[in-house]
Amino acid sequence: MRVKELKLYQFKNHRNASWSFGDKINAFAGLNGVGKTNILDALYYLSATKSYFNHSDQQLLLFGTNEASVYAKLEKDQEYEILAGFGETRKKTFKRNGKAYARLVDHIGFLQAVFITPYDISLVFEGSEERRKFIDYSISQLNKDYLHDLIAYRKILDQRNAFLKSLEGRLLDTLLLESYDRSLVPIGTRIYEIRKKFIDEFLPIFQEIHLALAQTEISVSLSYESPLTSETFSAVLQANSYKDVQAQRTSQGIHKDDLVFEIKNMPLKKFGSQGQIKTFVVALKLAQYQYLHRKSGDLPLLLLDDIFEKIDASRSQRLMELVCSDAYGQIFISDTHGERIRAHFAPFDVSFRLFELEPEDSV
Amino acid sequence: MALMPIFALMQFTSQIVEQAVEALSSFPGIGKRTALRLVMYLMNRPEIEVTHLADALIKLKTELHLCKRCGTVSDQEYCDICRDPRRDETLICVVEDFSDLMAIEATAQFKGTYHVLGGLISPMEGIGPSDLNIEAILQRVKEEGPKEVILALSATVEGDTTLYYVAKKLNEFDVVVSNIARGISVGGELEYVDEITLGRSLLQRTQYTIN
Repeated sequence: MRVKELKLYQFKNHRNASWSFGDKINAFAGLNGVGKTNILDALYYLSATKSYFNHSDQQLLLFGTNEASVYAKLEKDQEYEILAGFGETRKKTFKRNGKAYARLVDHIGFLQAVFITPYDISLVFEGSEERRKFIDYSISQLNKDYLHDLIAYRKILDQRNAFLKSLEGRLLDTLLLESYDRSLVPIGTRIYEIRKKFIDEFLPIFQEIHLALAQTEISVSLSYESPLTSETFSAVLQANSYKDVQAQRTSQGIHKDDLVFEIKNMPLKKFGSQGQIKTFVVALKLAQYQYLHRKSGDLPLLLLDDIFEKIDASRSQRLMELVCSDAYGQIFISDTHGERIRAHFAPFDVSFRLFELEPEDSV
Repeated sequence: MALMPIFALMQFTSQIVEQAVEALSSFPGIGKRTALRLVMYLMNRPEIEVTHLADALIKLKTELHLCKRCGTVSDQEYCDICRDPRRDETLICVVEDFSDLMAIEATAQFKGTYHVLGGLISPMEGIGPSDLNIEAILQRVKEEGPKEVILALSATVEGDTTLYYVAKKLNEFDVVVSNIARGISVGGELEYVDEITLGRSLLQRTQYTIN
Protein backbone atom coordinates (compact mmCIF):
# COMPACT_ATOMS: atom_id res chain seq x y z
CA MET A 1 0.00 0.00 0.00
CA ARG A 2 1.24 3.48 -0.86
CA VAL A 3 -0.03 6.86 0.22
CA LYS A 4 -0.12 9.23 -2.74
CA GLU A 5 -1.61 12.18 -0.95
CA LEU A 6 -2.46 13.28 2.58
CA LYS A 7 -4.68 16.15 3.69
CA LEU A 8 -5.09 17.25 7.26
CA TYR A 9 -7.84 19.55 8.42
CA GLN A 10 -7.64 20.92 11.97
CA PHE A 11 -5.67 17.86 13.02
CA LYS A 12 -3.35 18.76 15.92
CA ASN A 13 -1.43 21.84 14.82
CA HIS A 14 -2.25 21.47 11.11
CA ARG A 15 -5.10 23.78 10.21
CA ASN A 16 -5.22 22.92 6.56
CA ALA A 17 -2.28 21.12 5.02
CA SER A 18 -1.63 18.64 2.25
CA TRP A 19 1.27 16.70 0.83
CA SER A 20 1.92 14.53 -2.21
CA PHE A 21 4.23 11.66 -1.47
CA GLY A 22 6.89 9.74 -3.34
CA ASP A 23 7.06 5.97 -3.54
CA LYS A 24 9.86 5.35 -1.08
CA ILE A 25 11.32 7.85 1.37
CA ASN A 26 9.27 10.82 2.52
CA ALA A 27 11.04 12.95 5.08
CA PHE A 28 9.63 15.69 7.27
CA ALA A 29 12.11 18.11 8.71
CA GLY A 30 11.75 21.14 10.91
CA LEU A 31 12.15 22.50 14.39
CA ASN A 32 10.50 20.95 17.39
CA GLY A 33 6.82 21.77 17.54
CA VAL A 34 6.19 22.19 13.80
CA GLY A 35 4.10 19.03 13.79
CA LYS A 36 6.29 16.36 12.18
CA THR A 37 5.19 13.61 14.54
CA ASN A 38 1.58 14.71 14.11
CA ILE A 39 1.79 13.92 10.40
CA LEU A 40 3.08 10.44 11.15
CA ASP A 41 0.36 10.03 13.77
CA ALA A 42 -2.26 11.10 11.23
CA LEU A 43 -1.08 8.32 8.92
CA TYR A 44 -1.23 5.89 11.82
CA TYR A 45 -4.71 7.19 12.64
CA LEU A 46 -5.84 6.24 9.14
CA SER A 47 -4.52 2.75 9.77
CA ALA A 48 -5.63 2.07 13.33
CA THR A 49 -8.59 4.49 13.63
CA LYS A 50 -6.87 6.02 16.63
CA SER A 51 -3.75 7.90 17.65
CA TYR A 52 -0.59 5.92 18.33
CA PHE A 53 0.02 7.94 21.47
CA ASN A 54 -3.27 7.10 23.14
CA HIS A 55 -4.58 10.60 22.56
CA SER A 56 -8.34 10.81 22.65
CA ASP A 57 -9.95 12.24 19.51
CA GLN A 58 -10.65 15.42 21.48
CA GLN A 59 -6.93 15.84 22.06
CA LEU A 60 -6.29 15.58 18.32
CA LEU A 61 -8.38 18.64 17.49
CA LEU A 62 -6.56 21.86 16.65
CA PHE A 63 -6.91 24.14 19.66
CA GLY A 64 -10.14 26.10 19.50
CA THR A 65 -11.78 23.96 16.82
CA ASN A 66 -14.42 21.27 17.21
CA GLU A 67 -13.90 18.96 14.28
CA ALA A 68 -11.10 17.52 12.22
CA SER A 69 -10.51 15.28 9.26
CA VAL A 70 -7.74 13.20 7.77
CA TYR A 71 -7.87 12.28 4.12
CA ALA A 72 -5.56 10.12 2.07
CA LYS A 73 -5.38 8.86 -1.45
CA LEU A 74 -3.92 5.38 -1.45
CA GLU A 75 -2.71 3.03 -4.09
CA LYS A 76 -2.50 -0.73 -4.01
CA ASP A 77 -3.98 -2.71 -6.88
CA GLN A 78 -6.22 0.29 -7.47
CA GLU A 79 -6.73 3.75 -6.01
CA TYR A 80 -8.58 4.19 -2.77
CA GLU A 81 -9.66 7.22 -0.82
CA ILE A 82 -9.90 7.10 2.95
CA LEU A 83 -11.56 9.91 4.84
CA ALA A 84 -11.65 9.98 8.61
CA GLY A 85 -13.75 12.61 10.35
CA PHE A 86 -14.31 13.26 14.01
CA GLY A 87 -15.20 16.04 16.38
CA GLU A 88 -16.87 17.14 19.55
CA THR A 89 -20.43 17.04 18.30
CA ARG A 90 -20.19 14.46 15.55
CA LYS A 91 -19.80 10.75 15.41
CA LYS A 92 -16.41 9.51 14.27
CA THR A 93 -16.62 8.10 10.77
CA PHE A 94 -14.27 6.33 8.40
CA LYS A 95 -15.11 6.28 4.72
CA ARG A 96 -13.50 4.19 2.02
CA ASN A 97 -14.19 5.55 -1.44
CA GLY A 98 -17.02 7.63 -0.07
CA LYS A 99 -18.77 4.78 1.70
CA ALA A 100 -18.82 4.89 5.48
CA TYR A 101 -17.90 1.76 7.40
CA ALA A 102 -20.74 0.47 9.56
CA ARG A 103 -18.22 -0.30 12.30
CA LEU A 104 -14.74 1.14 12.70
CA VAL A 105 -13.26 -2.32 13.30
CA ASP A 106 -14.16 -3.24 9.72
CA HIS A 107 -11.44 -0.86 8.58
CA ILE A 108 -8.68 -2.44 10.69
CA GLY A 109 -6.15 -4.22 8.53
CA PHE A 110 -6.96 -2.35 5.33
CA LEU A 111 -4.05 0.03 5.64
CA GLN A 112 -1.26 -1.50 7.70
CA ALA A 113 1.30 0.70 9.40
CA VAL A 114 4.20 0.17 11.77
CA PHE A 115 5.23 3.15 13.87
CA ILE A 116 8.69 3.39 15.42
CA THR A 117 9.02 6.17 17.97
CA PRO A 118 11.23 7.01 20.95
CA TYR A 119 8.25 6.08 23.16
CA ASP A 120 8.58 2.43 22.16
CA ILE A 121 10.96 2.03 25.04
CA SER A 122 7.79 1.63 27.12
CA LEU A 123 7.54 -1.86 25.60
CA VAL A 124 10.44 -2.79 27.85
CA PHE A 125 9.85 -0.66 30.92
CA GLU A 126 6.08 -0.38 31.21
CA GLY A 127 3.61 -3.00 32.37
CA SER A 128 2.51 -6.07 30.45
CA GLU A 129 -0.36 -4.19 28.80
CA GLU A 130 2.09 -2.54 26.39
CA ARG A 131 3.43 -5.92 25.30
CA ARG A 132 -0.05 -7.43 24.93
CA LYS A 133 -0.94 -4.43 22.76
CA PHE A 134 2.08 -5.17 20.59
CA ILE A 135 1.01 -8.79 20.13
CA ASP A 136 -2.64 -7.92 19.61
CA TYR A 137 -1.89 -5.20 17.07
CA SER A 138 0.34 -7.54 15.06
CA ILE A 139 -2.29 -10.26 14.94
CA SER A 140 -5.44 -8.23 14.48
CA GLN A 141 -4.11 -6.51 11.37
CA LEU A 142 -4.45 -9.85 9.64
CA ASN A 143 -7.03 -11.73 11.65
CA LYS A 144 -10.50 -10.23 12.04
CA ASP A 145 -11.82 -13.13 14.10
CA TYR A 146 -9.06 -12.52 16.61
CA LEU A 147 -10.00 -8.85 16.85
CA HIS A 148 -13.65 -9.74 17.40
CA ASP A 149 -12.60 -12.23 20.05
CA LEU A 150 -10.56 -9.58 21.85
CA ILE A 151 -13.50 -7.19 21.86
CA ALA A 152 -15.90 -9.88 23.06
CA TYR A 153 -13.47 -11.06 25.75
CA ARG A 154 -13.14 -7.49 27.06
CA LYS A 155 -16.92 -7.06 27.23
CA ILE A 156 -17.47 -10.29 29.15
CA LEU A 157 -14.52 -9.58 31.43
CA ASP A 158 -15.87 -6.10 32.24
CA GLN A 159 -19.22 -7.61 33.20
CA ARG A 160 -17.56 -10.35 35.23
CA ASN A 161 -15.45 -7.79 37.09
CA ALA A 162 -18.46 -5.54 37.69
CA PHE A 163 -20.29 -8.56 39.06
CA LEU A 164 -17.41 -9.44 41.42
CA LYS A 165 -17.31 -5.83 42.54
CA SER A 166 -21.05 -5.72 43.15
CA LEU A 167 -20.85 -8.62 45.62
CA GLU A 168 -19.26 -6.66 48.45
CA GLY A 169 -19.48 -9.49 50.88
CA ARG A 170 -22.85 -10.74 49.71
CA LEU A 171 -23.35 -14.38 48.90
CA LEU A 172 -21.79 -15.37 45.58
CA ASP A 173 -24.27 -16.31 42.88
CA THR A 174 -22.19 -19.18 41.50
CA LEU A 175 -24.52 -19.66 38.58
CA LEU A 176 -23.92 -16.13 37.34
CA LEU A 177 -20.17 -16.55 37.71
CA GLU A 178 -20.45 -19.80 35.79
CA SER A 179 -22.38 -18.10 33.00
CA TYR A 180 -19.57 -15.56 32.53
CA ASP A 181 -16.90 -18.26 32.70
CA ARG A 182 -18.48 -20.45 30.09
CA SER A 183 -18.49 -17.51 27.66
CA LEU A 184 -14.99 -16.46 28.61
CA VAL A 185 -13.35 -19.90 28.35
CA PRO A 186 -13.70 -20.67 24.62
CA ILE A 187 -12.84 -17.11 23.58
CA GLY A 188 -9.87 -16.86 25.96
CA THR A 189 -8.59 -20.25 24.84
CA ARG A 190 -8.73 -19.23 21.19
CA ILE A 191 -6.88 -16.00 21.96
CA TYR A 192 -4.19 -17.97 23.80
CA GLU A 193 -3.73 -20.45 20.95
CA ILE A 194 -3.42 -17.69 18.38
CA ARG A 195 -0.96 -15.70 20.49
CA LYS A 196 1.16 -18.79 21.00
CA LYS A 197 1.23 -19.50 17.28
CA PHE A 198 2.06 -15.86 16.62
CA ILE A 199 5.08 -15.94 18.95
CA ASP A 200 6.31 -19.14 17.30
CA GLU A 201 6.22 -17.49 13.89
CA PHE A 202 7.38 -14.10 15.08
CA LEU A 203 10.46 -15.18 17.05
CA PRO A 204 12.63 -16.33 14.11
CA ILE A 205 11.77 -13.17 12.17
CA PHE A 206 12.73 -11.09 15.18
CA GLN A 207 16.03 -12.94 15.65
CA GLU A 208 16.90 -12.59 12.00
CA ILE A 209 16.26 -8.83 12.05
CA HIS A 210 18.03 -8.32 15.34
CA LEU A 211 21.10 -10.00 13.91
CA ALA A 212 20.96 -7.85 10.79
CA LEU A 213 20.63 -4.69 12.86
CA ALA A 214 23.04 -5.44 15.70
CA GLN A 215 25.54 -7.18 13.40
CA THR A 216 26.83 -9.22 16.31
CA GLU A 217 25.91 -12.73 17.35
CA ILE A 218 24.13 -11.98 20.54
CA SER A 219 21.36 -14.28 21.58
CA VAL A 220 17.97 -12.63 21.93
CA SER A 221 14.66 -14.25 22.66
CA LEU A 222 11.02 -13.70 23.50
CA SER A 223 8.93 -15.94 25.62
CA TYR A 224 5.21 -15.91 25.94
CA GLU A 225 3.93 -16.14 29.49
CA SER A 226 0.38 -17.19 30.09
CA PRO A 227 -1.33 -19.23 32.79
CA LEU A 228 -2.87 -21.24 29.96
CA THR A 229 0.52 -22.75 29.12
CA SER A 230 0.16 -25.26 31.93
CA GLU A 231 -3.57 -25.38 32.62
CA THR A 232 -6.86 -25.06 30.81
CA PHE A 233 -8.56 -21.71 31.08
CA SER A 234 -11.53 -23.14 32.95
CA ALA A 235 -9.16 -24.71 35.50
CA VAL A 236 -7.42 -21.34 35.88
CA LEU A 237 -10.71 -19.55 36.47
CA GLN A 238 -11.89 -22.19 38.90
CA ALA A 239 -8.66 -22.24 40.87
CA ASN A 240 -8.84 -18.46 41.23
CA SER A 241 -12.55 -18.04 41.90
CA TYR A 242 -12.12 -17.55 45.64
CA LYS A 243 -9.29 -15.10 45.09
CA ASP A 244 -11.35 -13.28 42.46
CA VAL A 245 -14.23 -12.78 44.87
CA GLN A 246 -11.83 -11.41 47.48
CA ALA A 247 -10.03 -9.15 45.03
CA GLN A 248 -13.30 -8.16 43.30
CA ARG A 249 -11.78 -8.69 39.88
CA THR A 250 -10.60 -11.45 37.57
CA SER A 251 -7.06 -12.06 38.73
CA GLN A 252 -5.93 -14.56 36.08
CA GLY A 253 -6.56 -14.99 32.41
CA ILE A 254 -5.26 -14.07 29.00
CA HIS A 255 -5.80 -10.41 29.93
CA LYS A 256 -2.69 -10.81 32.12
CA ASP A 257 -0.48 -12.52 29.54
CA ASP A 258 3.01 -11.19 29.09
CA LEU A 259 5.91 -11.32 26.70
CA VAL A 260 9.32 -11.60 28.31
CA PHE A 261 12.30 -10.11 26.48
CA GLU A 262 15.62 -11.82 26.94
CA ILE A 263 19.16 -11.02 25.97
CA LYS A 264 21.85 -13.65 26.54
CA ASN A 265 19.17 -15.62 28.42
CA MET A 266 18.75 -12.83 30.94
CA PRO A 267 15.86 -10.37 31.30
CA LEU A 268 16.53 -7.44 28.97
CA LYS A 269 14.96 -4.91 31.33
CA LYS A 270 17.52 -5.64 34.03
CA PHE A 271 20.59 -6.69 32.10
CA GLY A 272 20.43 -4.89 28.76
CA SER A 273 22.52 -1.78 28.18
CA GLN A 274 20.83 1.39 26.86
CA GLY A 275 22.07 0.64 23.37
CA GLN A 276 21.04 -3.00 23.52
CA ILE A 277 17.54 -2.05 24.66
CA LYS A 278 17.12 0.48 21.86
CA THR A 279 18.32 -1.99 19.24
CA PHE A 280 16.04 -4.67 20.68
CA VAL A 281 13.00 -2.40 20.45
CA VAL A 282 13.72 -1.26 16.90
CA ALA A 283 14.24 -4.89 15.89
CA LEU A 284 10.86 -5.80 17.47
CA LYS A 285 9.13 -3.14 15.40
CA LEU A 286 10.89 -4.06 12.17
CA ALA A 287 10.03 -7.69 12.85
CA GLN A 288 6.41 -6.65 13.29
CA TYR A 289 6.67 -5.01 9.89
CA GLN A 290 8.17 -8.11 8.31
CA TYR A 291 5.64 -10.37 9.99
CA LEU A 292 2.78 -8.33 8.50
CA HIS A 293 4.52 -8.15 5.14
CA ARG A 294 5.31 -11.85 4.89
CA LYS A 295 1.85 -12.88 6.06
CA SER A 296 -0.16 -10.53 3.87
CA GLY A 297 2.15 -9.97 0.91
CA ASP A 298 1.41 -6.27 1.25
CA LEU A 299 4.00 -3.66 2.24
CA PRO A 300 2.79 -1.73 5.30
CA LEU A 301 3.68 1.94 5.84
CA LEU A 302 6.76 2.43 7.95
CA LEU A 303 6.64 5.49 10.19
CA LEU A 304 9.98 6.46 11.71
CA ASP A 305 9.81 9.20 14.29
CA ASP A 306 13.06 10.84 15.41
CA ILE A 307 14.94 7.66 14.65
CA PHE A 308 18.42 9.22 14.54
CA GLU A 309 18.06 10.49 18.09
CA LYS A 310 17.42 6.95 19.12
CA ILE A 311 20.23 4.78 17.98
CA ASP A 312 23.90 5.32 17.31
CA ALA A 313 25.29 6.26 13.92
CA SER A 314 26.46 2.82 12.80
CA ARG A 315 23.17 1.17 13.77
CA SER A 316 21.12 3.90 12.12
CA GLN A 317 23.16 3.48 8.93
CA ARG A 318 22.47 -0.24 9.07
CA LEU A 319 18.79 0.54 9.62
CA MET A 320 18.68 2.76 6.53
CA GLU A 321 20.29 -0.03 4.55
CA LEU A 322 17.62 -2.48 5.69
CA VAL A 323 14.62 -0.27 5.05
CA CYS A 324 15.89 0.80 1.63
CA SER A 325 15.66 -2.80 0.46
CA ASP A 326 12.66 -4.21 -1.37
CA ALA A 327 11.48 -5.89 1.82
CA TYR A 328 10.19 -2.50 2.93
CA GLY A 329 7.76 -0.20 1.16
CA GLN A 330 6.93 3.44 1.58
CA ILE A 331 8.62 5.17 4.50
CA PHE A 332 7.74 8.33 6.39
CA ILE A 333 10.49 9.72 8.51
CA SER A 334 10.83 12.76 10.75
CA ASP A 335 13.91 14.58 11.99
CA THR A 336 14.87 18.05 13.07
CA HIS A 337 17.45 18.36 10.28
CA GLY A 338 16.49 17.80 6.68
CA GLU A 339 20.06 17.57 5.49
CA ARG A 340 20.85 14.91 8.07
CA ILE A 341 18.07 12.69 6.68
CA ARG A 342 19.21 13.37 3.13
CA ALA A 343 22.77 12.41 4.05
CA HIS A 344 21.60 9.15 5.61
CA PHE A 345 19.82 8.12 2.45
CA ALA A 346 22.38 9.48 0.02
CA PRO A 347 24.26 6.16 -0.37
CA PHE A 348 21.09 4.40 -1.52
CA ASP A 349 19.41 4.58 -4.86
CA VAL A 350 15.89 5.31 -3.68
CA SER A 351 13.35 7.99 -4.39
CA PHE A 352 13.60 10.68 -1.75
CA ARG A 353 11.23 13.54 -1.02
CA LEU A 354 11.97 16.10 1.67
CA PHE A 355 9.28 18.31 3.20
CA GLU A 356 10.66 21.19 5.21
CA LEU A 357 8.04 22.31 7.69
CA GLU A 358 8.01 25.92 8.82
CA PRO A 359 6.15 26.97 11.94
CA GLU A 360 3.76 29.13 9.87
CA ASP A 361 3.03 26.16 7.58
CA SER A 362 1.00 24.53 10.22
CA VAL A 363 -0.65 27.02 12.56
CA MET B 1 -25.29 21.08 12.94
CA ALA B 2 -23.75 24.48 12.29
CA LEU B 3 -26.82 26.10 13.86
CA MET B 4 -26.57 24.12 17.09
CA PRO B 5 -24.58 26.63 19.14
CA ILE B 6 -26.85 29.52 18.13
CA PHE B 7 -29.82 27.42 19.10
CA ALA B 8 -28.41 26.71 22.50
CA LEU B 9 -27.96 30.40 23.12
CA MET B 10 -31.28 31.63 21.78
CA GLN B 11 -33.59 33.53 24.04
CA PHE B 12 -37.24 32.55 24.36
CA THR B 13 -39.99 35.18 24.63
CA SER B 14 -42.11 32.91 26.81
CA GLN B 15 -41.04 30.80 29.73
CA ILE B 16 -43.99 28.47 29.16
CA VAL B 17 -42.79 27.74 25.64
CA GLU B 18 -39.23 27.36 26.88
CA GLN B 19 -40.29 24.86 29.55
CA ALA B 20 -42.22 22.81 27.00
CA VAL B 21 -39.23 22.80 24.64
CA GLU B 22 -36.88 21.79 27.44
CA ALA B 23 -39.21 18.96 28.50
CA LEU B 24 -39.65 17.60 25.00
CA SER B 25 -35.98 17.87 24.10
CA SER B 26 -35.13 15.51 26.96
CA PHE B 27 -36.82 12.70 24.96
CA PRO B 28 -34.57 10.22 23.18
CA GLY B 29 -33.86 11.26 19.62
CA ILE B 30 -35.45 14.71 20.05
CA GLY B 31 -33.24 17.76 19.89
CA LYS B 32 -34.13 21.35 20.61
CA ARG B 33 -35.04 22.07 17.01
CA THR B 34 -37.54 19.20 16.78
CA ALA B 35 -38.85 20.01 20.25
CA LEU B 36 -39.61 23.57 19.13
CA ARG B 37 -41.42 22.26 16.05
CA LEU B 38 -43.56 19.98 18.22
CA VAL B 39 -44.37 22.80 20.61
CA MET B 40 -45.41 25.06 17.72
CA TYR B 41 -47.57 22.27 16.36
CA LEU B 42 -49.24 21.69 19.75
CA MET B 43 -49.85 25.44 20.20
CA ASN B 44 -51.87 25.43 16.99
CA ARG B 45 -54.03 22.39 17.82
CA PRO B 46 -57.48 22.63 19.46
CA GLU B 47 -57.40 22.52 23.25
CA ILE B 48 -59.34 19.25 23.43
CA GLU B 49 -56.70 17.47 21.40
CA VAL B 50 -53.86 18.69 23.60
CA THR B 51 -55.80 17.79 26.76
CA HIS B 52 -56.33 14.34 25.36
CA LEU B 53 -52.60 13.95 24.80
CA ALA B 54 -51.81 15.21 28.29
CA ASP B 55 -54.31 12.75 29.77
CA ALA B 56 -52.78 9.87 27.87
CA LEU B 57 -49.35 10.83 29.19
CA ILE B 58 -50.51 11.11 32.80
CA LYS B 59 -52.27 7.77 32.59
CA LEU B 60 -48.95 6.18 31.64
CA LYS B 61 -47.84 6.88 35.17
CA THR B 62 -51.08 6.67 37.13
CA GLU B 63 -53.10 3.89 35.58
CA LEU B 64 -50.60 1.56 34.04
CA HIS B 65 -49.87 -1.71 35.81
CA LEU B 66 -47.52 -4.56 35.24
CA CYS B 67 -49.37 -7.76 34.43
CA LYS B 68 -49.33 -9.98 37.49
CA ARG B 69 -48.56 -13.00 35.42
CA CYS B 70 -46.19 -12.03 32.65
CA GLY B 71 -44.88 -8.67 33.84
CA THR B 72 -45.72 -6.66 30.75
CA VAL B 73 -47.48 -3.31 30.82
CA SER B 74 -51.23 -3.62 31.24
CA ASP B 75 -54.32 -1.56 32.02
CA GLN B 76 -55.65 -4.22 34.33
CA GLU B 77 -54.35 -6.77 36.77
CA TYR B 78 -53.71 -9.18 33.89
CA CYS B 79 -52.75 -8.04 30.41
CA ASP B 80 -54.80 -8.53 27.25
CA ILE B 81 -52.60 -11.36 26.05
CA CYS B 82 -52.77 -13.29 29.32
CA ARG B 83 -56.56 -12.89 29.36
CA ASP B 84 -57.01 -13.97 25.75
CA PRO B 85 -58.37 -17.56 25.72
CA ARG B 86 -57.07 -18.15 22.18
CA ARG B 87 -53.47 -17.87 23.38
CA ASP B 88 -51.60 -21.13 23.81
CA GLU B 89 -50.73 -21.29 27.48
CA THR B 90 -48.34 -24.19 27.08
CA LEU B 91 -45.86 -21.89 25.31
CA ILE B 92 -44.06 -19.09 27.11
CA CYS B 93 -41.77 -16.69 25.28
CA VAL B 94 -39.28 -14.91 27.56
CA VAL B 95 -38.32 -11.41 26.40
CA GLU B 96 -36.23 -8.57 27.77
CA ASP B 97 -38.87 -5.83 27.76
CA PHE B 98 -42.15 -4.58 26.41
CA SER B 99 -40.67 -3.36 23.15
CA ASP B 100 -39.20 -6.79 22.43
CA LEU B 101 -42.61 -8.30 23.16
CA MET B 102 -44.12 -5.94 20.60
CA ALA B 103 -41.44 -6.92 18.09
CA ILE B 104 -42.34 -10.60 18.49
CA GLU B 105 -46.04 -9.81 18.33
CA ALA B 106 -45.43 -7.97 15.07
CA THR B 107 -44.15 -11.19 13.50
CA ALA B 108 -47.63 -12.74 13.93
CA GLN B 109 -45.80 -16.05 14.29
CA PHE B 110 -46.29 -16.56 17.97
CA LYS B 111 -49.55 -17.56 19.57
CA GLY B 112 -48.34 -18.40 23.07
CA THR B 113 -47.94 -16.18 26.11
CA TYR B 114 -45.05 -14.00 27.22
CA HIS B 115 -42.85 -13.38 30.17
CA VAL B 116 -41.10 -10.01 30.44
CA LEU B 117 -37.84 -9.97 32.40
CA GLY B 118 -37.63 -6.19 32.64
CA GLY B 119 -34.00 -6.07 31.49
CA LEU B 120 -30.91 -8.22 31.11
CA ILE B 121 -28.28 -9.16 33.65
CA SER B 122 -25.64 -6.43 33.51
CA PRO B 123 -23.59 -5.82 36.67
CA MET B 124 -21.94 -2.88 34.91
CA GLU B 125 -25.29 -1.12 34.99
CA GLY B 126 -26.04 -2.46 38.45
CA ILE B 127 -28.56 -5.03 37.22
CA GLY B 128 -28.28 -8.43 38.86
CA PRO B 129 -30.57 -11.48 38.54
CA SER B 130 -32.63 -10.42 41.56
CA ASP B 131 -33.51 -7.13 39.87
CA LEU B 132 -35.22 -9.02 37.08
CA ASN B 133 -38.44 -11.00 36.81
CA ILE B 134 -36.56 -14.31 36.94
CA GLU B 135 -38.06 -15.84 40.10
CA ALA B 136 -41.51 -15.22 38.64
CA ILE B 137 -40.85 -17.25 35.49
CA LEU B 138 -39.62 -20.18 37.61
CA GLN B 139 -42.73 -19.90 39.73
CA ARG B 140 -44.90 -19.78 36.61
CA VAL B 141 -43.29 -22.85 35.12
CA LYS B 142 -43.77 -24.68 38.39
CA GLU B 143 -47.42 -23.73 38.66
CA GLU B 144 -48.55 -23.71 35.04
CA GLY B 145 -46.46 -26.60 33.75
CA PRO B 146 -45.95 -25.31 30.19
CA LYS B 147 -44.52 -27.55 27.46
CA GLU B 148 -41.92 -25.12 26.20
CA VAL B 149 -40.16 -21.93 27.24
CA ILE B 150 -38.66 -19.97 24.35
CA LEU B 151 -35.86 -17.61 25.28
CA ALA B 152 -35.93 -14.68 22.85
CA LEU B 153 -33.10 -12.45 24.04
CA SER B 154 -30.62 -10.16 22.30
CA ALA B 155 -27.43 -11.71 20.93
CA THR B 156 -25.16 -9.61 23.16
CA VAL B 157 -22.93 -10.46 26.11
CA GLU B 158 -25.77 -9.45 28.45
CA GLY B 159 -28.33 -11.43 26.44
CA ASP B 160 -26.14 -14.54 26.36
CA THR B 161 -25.42 -14.33 30.09
CA THR B 162 -29.11 -13.98 30.93
CA LEU B 163 -29.95 -16.77 28.49
CA TYR B 164 -27.60 -19.21 30.19
CA TYR B 165 -28.64 -18.10 33.65
CA VAL B 166 -32.38 -18.53 33.04
CA ALA B 167 -31.94 -21.73 31.02
CA LYS B 168 -29.89 -23.29 33.79
CA LYS B 169 -32.52 -22.31 36.37
CA LEU B 170 -35.25 -23.82 34.21
CA ASN B 171 -33.26 -27.00 33.86
CA GLU B 172 -34.72 -28.47 37.04
CA PHE B 173 -38.23 -28.42 35.62
CA ASP B 174 -39.75 -30.79 33.13
CA VAL B 175 -39.99 -28.28 30.32
CA VAL B 176 -38.37 -27.87 26.92
CA VAL B 177 -36.16 -24.79 26.85
CA SER B 178 -35.36 -23.32 23.45
CA ASN B 179 -33.44 -20.35 22.16
CA ILE B 180 -34.36 -18.33 19.06
CA ALA B 181 -32.08 -18.95 16.07
CA ARG B 182 -29.37 -16.45 15.24
CA GLY B 183 -28.50 -16.03 11.63
CA ILE B 184 -28.83 -14.30 8.32
CA SER B 185 -31.57 -11.74 7.87
CA VAL B 186 -34.19 -12.38 5.20
CA GLY B 187 -33.19 -10.73 1.94
CA GLY B 188 -29.60 -10.51 3.14
CA GLU B 189 -26.82 -11.39 0.75
CA LEU B 190 -24.31 -13.82 2.16
CA GLU B 191 -21.17 -11.88 1.25
CA TYR B 192 -22.35 -8.87 3.26
CA VAL B 193 -23.12 -10.81 6.42
CA ASP B 194 -20.53 -10.27 9.16
CA GLU B 195 -18.31 -13.24 9.87
CA ILE B 196 -19.59 -13.88 13.40
CA THR B 197 -23.22 -14.09 12.34
CA LEU B 198 -22.31 -16.21 9.35
CA GLY B 199 -20.22 -18.55 11.49
CA ARG B 200 -23.06 -18.91 13.93
CA SER B 201 -25.58 -19.62 11.19
CA LEU B 202 -23.33 -22.41 9.95
CA LEU B 203 -23.06 -23.94 13.40
CA GLN B 204 -26.81 -23.67 13.96
CA ARG B 205 -27.82 -24.79 10.48
CA THR B 206 -31.15 -26.58 10.12
CA GLN B 207 -32.06 -29.54 7.98
CA TYR B 208 -33.72 -28.50 4.76
CA THR B 209 -37.10 -30.13 4.36
CA ILE B 210 -38.96 -30.28 1.09
CA ASN B 211 -42.68 -30.11 1.60
